[in-house]
Amino acid sequence: MAIEVIMPKVDMDQETGTVVEWCKNPGEQVKTGEIILVIETDKVAVDVESPGTGILEGVSAKPGEVIPIGTVIAYLLAEGEALPQGAAPTPKVESSLPTPPQEISTGQVVTPVAKNMAAAHGIDLNAIAPSGKGQKITKADVAAQLAKESAPVVAGKIYAAPAARRVARENQVDLAALQGSGPQGRIQSNDVFASLEQQDHQTQLQVVAPIVEPEIIPLIGMRRTIAERMTANYQNVPHIKFTSRVIMSGITEARNTLNAVAEKSGAQKISVTALLVKQIATTLRRHPYLNSSLKGDEILLHQDINIGVAVALENGLIVPVVKNADKKGLAEIAAEVNDLAARARAGKLVNADVKGGTFTISNLGPFGIEQFDAIINAPEAAILAIGATQLEAIPDESGQIVARPIMRMTLSADHRIVDGAVAARFVAELKTVLENPILMVY
Amino acid sequence: MVREITYLEAVREAMTQEMERDPKVFLIGEDVGLYGGAFQVSYGMLEKFGPERIVDTPITELGIAGAATGAALVGMRPIAEIMFMDFTTLASEQLVNQAAKLRFMFGGRATDPMVLRTPAGSGTGAAEHHSQSFENWFVHVPGLKVVMPTTPYDVKGLLIESIRDDNPVVFIEHKLLYKSKGPVPEEMYTIPLGKADVKRAGRDLTIVATGVMVQRSLAAADQLAQEGIDIEIVDPRTLRPLDTETIIASVKKTGKVLIVHEAVKTGGFGGELAAVIAESEAFGYLEAPILRLAGKEVPIPYNRNLEYHAVPQVENIIEKARELAQLKV
Repeated sequence: MAIEVIMPKVDMDQETGTVVEWCKNPGEQVKTGEIILVIETDKVAVDVESPGTGILEGVSAKPGEVIPIGTVIAYLLAEGEALPQGAAPTPKVESSLPTPPQEISTGQVVTPVAKNMAAAHGIDLNAIAPSGKGQKITKADVAAQLAKESAPVVAGKIYAAPAARRVARENQVDLAALQGSGPQGRIQSNDVFASLEQQDHQTQLQVVAPIVEPEIIPLIGMRRTIAERMTANYQNVPHIKFTSRVIMSGITEARNTLNAVAEKSGAQKISVTALLVKQIATTLRRHPYLNSSLKGDEILLHQDINIGVAVALENGLIVPVVKNADKKGLAEIAAEVNDLAARARAGKLVNADVKGGTFTISNLGPFGIEQFDAIINAPEAAILAIGATQLEAIPDESGQIVARPIMRMTLSADHRIVDGAVAARFVAELKTVLENPILMVY
Repeated sequence: MVREITYLEAVREAMTQEMERDPKVFLIGEDVGLYGGAFQVSYGMLEKFGPERIVDTPITELGIAGAATGAALVGMRPIAEIMFMDFTTLASEQLVNQAAKLRFMFGGRATDPMVLRTPAGSGTGAAEHHSQSFENWFVHVPGLKVVMPTTPYDVKGLLIESIRDDNPVVFIEHKLLYKSKGPVPEEMYTIPLGKADVKRAGRDLTIVATGVMVQRSLAAADQLAQEGIDIEIVDPRTLRPLDTETIIASVKKTGKVLIVHEAVKTGGFGGELAAVIAESEAFGYLEAPILRLAGKEVPIPYNRNLEYHAVPQVENIIEKARELAQLKV
C-alpha cells in the first residue's frame, strides 16, 4: 500500500508551502522519521520527516514550487509496488476546458436558480466563491463566473469599447495586438493608452540603451510575507515617531564591568542588544500601552513582555522573540539573543521562536546608520529603531563641549492606541534608564 | 438667502404671478376651484381670481383639453389641469390630433399657446390607474413640447416659460416632488425650454435622469461618492425639445452613461436618449454599453411592496451605477 507524502500544514494560518529541497532522491529507501525534504512557510523553514518506510517515488513538486497544503507531492512504495492508478500526483492546475456541471462536493449551499443557471451553462459550482448570505452560491455568483469564463470571441472581429476604437484610430494603434482589461476581455481606451505609453517607453529605451531583460525573482515565501505585512502595516497603522538622543557612557561602562566578570567565569559576553532588550522590557512594565495590541474594538494590554529582535538575513529578515524579557537575567537574555540570531541565520528557527512578540527592536547601528524609523510589526503597538553609537561633541552640564558616545533611537507607535504624550513619556523614561543603567534594578 | 418653498407652492406661485401679469391666462380642470386641486396646487386661487379664471369642470378630460385648445386658438393662454397623468389618454385626441397640428396646418398663422399640467408617477399607493408615466407618448408628437421639472426652482421658471410659449406644452409634475422644498426667488423668472441642467458635476459616470429619479440619483451619487465614485447627473428638464448638447458633452467627459427613468423601460424615453448618444460624437468616447434603469414591464401594483419594486429606487441606482463605474459591464 503506497504511503502518501503531502505538503504538511505546520502553521495555523498556512495555506501553501514552498519546496526548498528534497533530501532524498527518487528510488532511494527511506525510513520513518528520516528527513526527506525541507519546505518553507512564509515564516520559517521546516524539515519534513518521512511518514513511513519505503522507496521514494512519484516526486511531483520541484524546489521553488508553491504547493497548497494537503497536496500529495510524493509516494513511499514497497518493494516492487507501482505508483497508485489514476492518482498520479499532480499539483493543482486550473483547467481551461469547460467542465460538465457537477454536484457540489463540499456541502456548499446553492440557491435553486443558481443551480439551474450553472447547469444550463455548464459551469462548475465548485469553482465559484459564494457571496450570498450564509455563504450561499447565488444567481449573481454564477453570473459573475459566466462573465469570467465566456469571452465573446468572434473570428476576425475585435471586442473593443467605442472609445478604445477612437483612440486607436487617432493614434494608429492596431487593436488586434492588444489585450483587453474590460469585462470579458473588452479593450478599453486605457488599454490603448497603455500600449502607446509602452511604445514611447520602448522607443526611448532603444535610443538610450539596448534592452536588457531584468532578472525575475518570484515573490514567494518570506519575501511575499514581508511585502504583504509591510504594506498592510504601513497603510493600516497610523505611525507617530519620536527620536531621542541617548548618552551611552553609562551603558558602555556597565557592559565593560559585566563582561569582565563574564570573562573570568567563562560565560557568554553581554551584547549591547541584550542590555537594550533588558532595559526596554523593564521600562515597558510601567508603560502598558506600548506593550499592547488593538484588536477589533478592544485594546489588549499584554501581561507578558516579549521582545522581538529583528535579524537581517541574506534574503529578508525575521523577528525571533525573547519571551518574558522583563523577568529574565541579563546573562540569560544574552545567551538567548545569541542563540536566536544564530539559528535565524542558519534558517533553523521554529514557529515558537517567532510567535508572541509584544514589542520589537531593530538595531541598524552595526551598519553605521545614525538614525532611522521602522514600520510597526502589527499587531504590536510599537517598534524601536536603534542607531549607531558614535562619539559626538555635546555640551556637558557646565556648558563645556565634550565628546560623548551618542546613540539615537526612534520609537514608532500606533497612534490609534498610543497618544503622543504616552509615547513621549516612554521614550523619556527609556532614555533615563539607558543613561543610568543602575535604574534597571530599581 | 433665498426663501424656501415647496414644489407645489412654486407651481401655484408661477400660475398666480402669470395670471396677475397677463389677463389672458386662466386655469381649467377638475376640482381646481372649490376643492383647490387634487394635490392642493391651486388652493386659494378661486378666492383670488374668481370662477371665470379658475374654472371647475365636469369629469371630462377630453372637454378640458378641447376647451383649452379652442381658447388658445382664439388668443387666450389656458392652463389645463389633468388630475392624473393616467387620464391624459382621454385628453389625447384634442392634444395630439388637434392642438399639436394647428400651427402647422395654418402655415404658422395660428398658434395654440396652451399648457396641459398633469402629475405623473408612482409611490403614493394609488395603483394602476393613478400612477403612470406617459411622457414618452407626447415626446413622440411633433408640435408638442414636453417639460418635466424636478425642483421647486425649476418648476416655477419652466411653468412661466411654458405659459408664455406659443406652442402646446405638456407640463409633467411629479406627485412625490410636490412636498419637496427648495430655494425659489419671489420675483418672476423664466428658464428656457430645451435647456438641460447638470444637477451634479462628476468625472466617472453620467446619469441622465428624469422626474423623481433625479432626486434618487442625487442620493445614490452621494453614497457612491464615499466609495470614490464621482457621478455627474444631467437633468434634461425638457424632453422635447431635448438639450442634446449638454448630454453629449457630459458623456464625452465620463465615457459611461446610465439612464434612469420611472416609466416602463420598453418604449420609454431612455431609448431615445440612448439613441441620441449613440448617434452623436459621444459614441467614440463610450467605454461601456449605454445602460437603462427604468420601470418594470408591469402596471404599477397596488401592493406597496410591489409598487416599491416596480420602479428604480436609490439602492438599484447605486448598484447599477457602481457596476458601470467599475466597468463590470
